Formats: sequence, structure tokens, C-alpha cells
Amino acid sequence: MSSNSSPVIETRNLSKRFKELRAVYRLNMKVNKGEIFGFLGPNGAGKTTTLKMIMGLMYPSEGEVFINGEKVGADSVHVRKNLSYLPERVSFYDHLTPLQTLHFFCELKGADKSVAKPLLKEVGLADRMHDEVGTFSKGMVQLLGVAQSMIGNPPIYIFDEPMGGLDARWVKVIREKIRALNDQGATILFSSHILSEVQGLCDKVAIINKGKLVAEDTLANLSKHLHLKPRLEITITGLNGKVPSSLSNIEGIDAVDAKGDKLIVTCDAKARLQVIIKLAQEGMDIQEFKTIDPSLEDVFMKVTSSEEEGGF
Amino acid sequence: MVKLKINIVSIYSVAKKEFEDNIRNKWITTLITIFVILTIATSYFAGSREADSSSLGEMEDTITVLLSISVILIPLIAIMLGYATISGECESGSLYVVLAYPIRRREVLLGKFIGLGAVIVFSTIIGFGTGGIIIAVLAGTSEWTSYVVFIGLTILLGLLYLSVSIFFSTLTSKRSTSLGLGVLIFFWSMIFGIILMAVYLGGGGSYDELLTGETTFPNWMWWAILLSPMDMNQVAVLRAFGIEEVFGFSMEFPSFMTLSLLVTVQLIWIIVPLILAYYVFERRDI
Repeated sequence: MSSNSSPVIETRNLSKRFKELRAVYRLNMKVNKGEIFGFLGPNGAGKTTTLKMIMGLMYPSEGEVFINGEKVGADSVHVRKNLSYLPERVSFYDHLTPLQTLHFFCELKGADKSVAKPLLKEVGLADRMHDEVGTFSKGMVQLLGVAQSMIGNPPIYIFDEPMGGLDARWVKVIREKIRALNDQGATILFSSHILSEVQGLCDKVAIINKGKLVAEDTLANLSKHLHLKPRLEITITGLNGKVPSSLSNIEGIDAVDAKGDKLIVTCDAKARLQVIIKLAQEGMDIQEFKTIDPSLEDVFMKVTSSEEEGGF
Repeated sequence: MVKLKINIVSIYSVAKKEFEDNIRNKWITTLITIFVILTIATSYFAGSREADSSSLGEMEDTITVLLSISVILIPLIAIMLGYATISGECESGSLYVVLAYPIRRREVLLGKFIGLGAVIVFSTIIGFGTGGIIIAVLAGTSEWTSYVVFIGLTILLGLLYLSVSIFFSTLTSKRSTSLGLGVLIFFWSMIFGIILMAVYLGGGGSYDELLTGETTFPNWMWWAILLSPMDMNQVAVLRAFGIEEVFGFSMEFPSFMTLSLLVTVQLIWIIVPLILAYYVFERRDI
């Protein structure tokens, strides 16, 4: 990922105020070409509002949105030709079939209607092509949402909570679809509040909390800057959730936690071996040990909690 | 003068989608079915009566009965179609998808008006068309031009209520709020009539004298009718047929209450809410 490539989506001081509530505040964010960009934050952090402003559905109170360097407004019809959007909790028209639905959106995008059937096949809805959308399950409606987003092969995709509320099977399908679109060269910006969905999928993440951007970087860089350490997980027979007191005098240990037979130690790489040796010397029955890299969850906890303290 | 860019293809796409989606809505089809059955029943009995009495005046009776059906059912169909067309799509989320496409908000609005208007035109023609054919077969076609004018005025009434309810649907983002506004639109003419009568009686007017025909409505009351779509429609139809007596009430229209005045005012009633809807919808957050 070259960092000097020009951003395809850029927000400058983007702000949105609803009466008393400051939903989004001076948000500066850049999404570069070809990235899968995860836009993360707890519920109510301002993710949907930000994405709606990017799409021109909501008007910013202050600040601007640029798509491929061009400023976005409600009338930016040609800007939206390169853009596709999957809103949170998408819905269509109950009495239309998925085929009619896609035909309608093909017309709006100026795309050939012949793409509708292959798209339905691609998302696995081909056998329900002629049923009314009103009879569809939530997951199927979401897949239809993904299908409509692919009309005309746009270079930029914006998905709002694409996996929200779906069961594991659909989550996997949507993840794979996002990856496939990215492999074809598309830039994807998507929001999520469930970090396990995002882990391993994004090139870059931005974390928003209470309307403010609190972090924006690659996951590896974020872990490094936040001094997040890998954790050592040791399975010991007969531990019974007790933290061995002998670990307290080893240097470089940040935290020790015991749950059942599992002992989780957050520490420097150098201290790891010492921990194992100490435990072995004490005669503990070590079954297994492994290191776990810092997860997005850890990053998230760290940045959102430091935001609360007013630190960041 | 502000130049508004508009894409006809997008408007047509939205119109077609609205027609296809709503013509299969079971509430709408139920209302249309009731409308068709009532029209056929009325025209069948009136037509067969006419056939043996050979009195031309009977057509007027048919129209007054049909009018009392259409003046309720057509606004009801129009409001059902329009009251939540924007707010309901806001709440469900389908509007977000549509507006993410290369389409302008005014095109969505106009497309909705045309598509839903087509449902009204369709149901009116099916309803009164079949009724008209039955009358023609049973009693001959002596007054068919007036009958066509009647159908036209009914469509006008439907489009008026559609335009008003589309405007109200742009004001909220919740279907439930819109429902309240829809009920208000529907009952407006009825409330208005009561208010008007109260003002008349309160100002020293006599109900008995109206009934016995000793006195007629003052002019200001006729002008006030221009604020009530259902009343405008009824007066327009009666004028078109030259009917001056309804269910025993004598109706002597003042000379300024012409058909063209009533049609013009109703057209204003269609255009103004659409312009207001455009201003609200273009500027609001979705």
C-alpha cells in the first residue's frame, strides 16, 4: 500500500450537529485507492452519520467530503456513478421480485439490465429470482443489497455494518465478497462495531468514538504505537483460576489473569521464557503454551478508554 | 430563474417501480376492488331502471350516487398511496439505497407522483369505465361526454390528494407520524364543512331556512369551498352535469362558481404541495 497515492475518499473537518448532540466532530479521514478500510466504533459513535454525509444523504454542519478530489453535495449525480452504497439494515420493495429490483437499480445507474441475473446468481439468490422480496429473510435481503451494490462495477464501495445482525454463515459470505471485490481493484470503506468481523480483513482502520476520530492507521502500526504486547496463554492442570504469586517478581510483566486452567500473561518478549521457567520450577503441570498477537479488540479498548480519560 | 436539471429516464424508472410495487399492495387492491364493485352495482341498478323509464334525468341520479362513493374512496386510495411514500422509505431504509444512485431527489419525488398518479388513473378508469359500459349497454349512451368529464374530475381529485399526502410524507422520517397526518388530510374536508357551518350558524344563519330553500348559502361560503378539495370536486361534478338538486337539497350555484375556476384551483392544489415537497425534500437530511 503506497501511502502517497491520492485518496479516493477524503473528509475534511467533517462535522454534524443534531440540535444538542455533536454526532460527528471535525473528522479528517483518508481512504486510499485499493484499500479495505475498516471504520470502527461503538454503537452511536457517529459511523452511520459520517457515511451518510459521504454519500450526500446528510448535509454536513461543517466541513467537506471529497470523492476522487471532487466535493460532494446532494446534486453530485456524476460522483455517485463511481460509488455504491449498502446502508445499515437495507430494505427494498416488498412487492417487487429481486430481478425487478435489480432492473430498477440498473436503470438508475445506466447499466445494462442483463447484469441482473448473473449478479443474483453470484450472491446465491438465483433460485428466488421471481419471488417477492417481502418473503425474504434478513440475510437474503442483505445479499440482494450486496448484489445491487455491484451493478456497474463501481470502483468505490461504502458498506454500513454489512455484517450487522447476520448469522455466521452470511458473515462469511459477505467477508468473502468484500475480499473478492478488493481483489478486482475496488476500494472498500465499511463500518462495524463488531471487531471480530473486521479482524484480518482490513488494510487500515479508523476508530471513531463520540463523533471524534481517535485512531487511523494499519492494525500493526496501531498495536505498535499503543505499546500493545502479545499475550502468553498457558494451560496448566489444576490452576483453578489462581494467579501464582511467584510471577510478581519477574520484570516486564504488564498483567496476569487466570481463568480456570488458563493463565494469561501480558509481557515483553524477553519475559516470556522466564515465566515458563518459573512456573515449571514450581512444579506446575503445563499442558500447552502459545502467544496471541494483540487483537483489534485490544486496540479498540485502549483507544476508546484513553479517549474517555481525555488523553488521546 | 433557477434552472433545474432533470433526467427523464430516472423519473420514468421511479414511476414504473412505484406503479409495479403499489399495484400489488393488498390494501390498495382491496380498496380498488371495493370501488369497482360499488360502481358496478350502482350503475347496474341505475342503468336497468333507466332502460324502462326512458327518462334522461335518471343519469343524474346515478352520478350523484357514484359521486358520493368516489369522493370518499378516491381520496382514501390517494392518501394510502402517498402518506408514507417518503417517510416509510426513510424508516425502512430503501430510500438510502435509491438516493445513493446517480439520481436527484426531485427526480425521485416527481417519479413517485407520476407512478402513484398512474395507480389512481388506472383504478379510476377501471372503476368508472366498467360502470360506464354497463350504463351504456343498459340505457344507451346519451350523456357520455359528461361521464368522461366526471371521470376526469375524479382523477383530478385523486391527484390532488396524492400531491398533498406526498408533501406531508416528506415532513417526517416515521411512518407512524405520517399516518396521523394522513388521517388529518382525509378528514380535512369533513372538519372544514363543520367549521364552515358553525361559522354560518354562529353568524345568525338559519339551518331551517336553508332546508326549506327560503335562503341560500352566502357568497363567502362558496369562496371558502376552494379550501376544501372534496367540496370543490362535488360542486365541479354537479356543475358539469348541470345538476341543481342533490338528495332533496336544492343547489343554486352562484355564477362565479364555474367549472374552469374549480379546475384551476384544484390544479393549484396539486402544484403548490409538490413545490413545497421539493423544497423540503431537497434540503433535509435523510
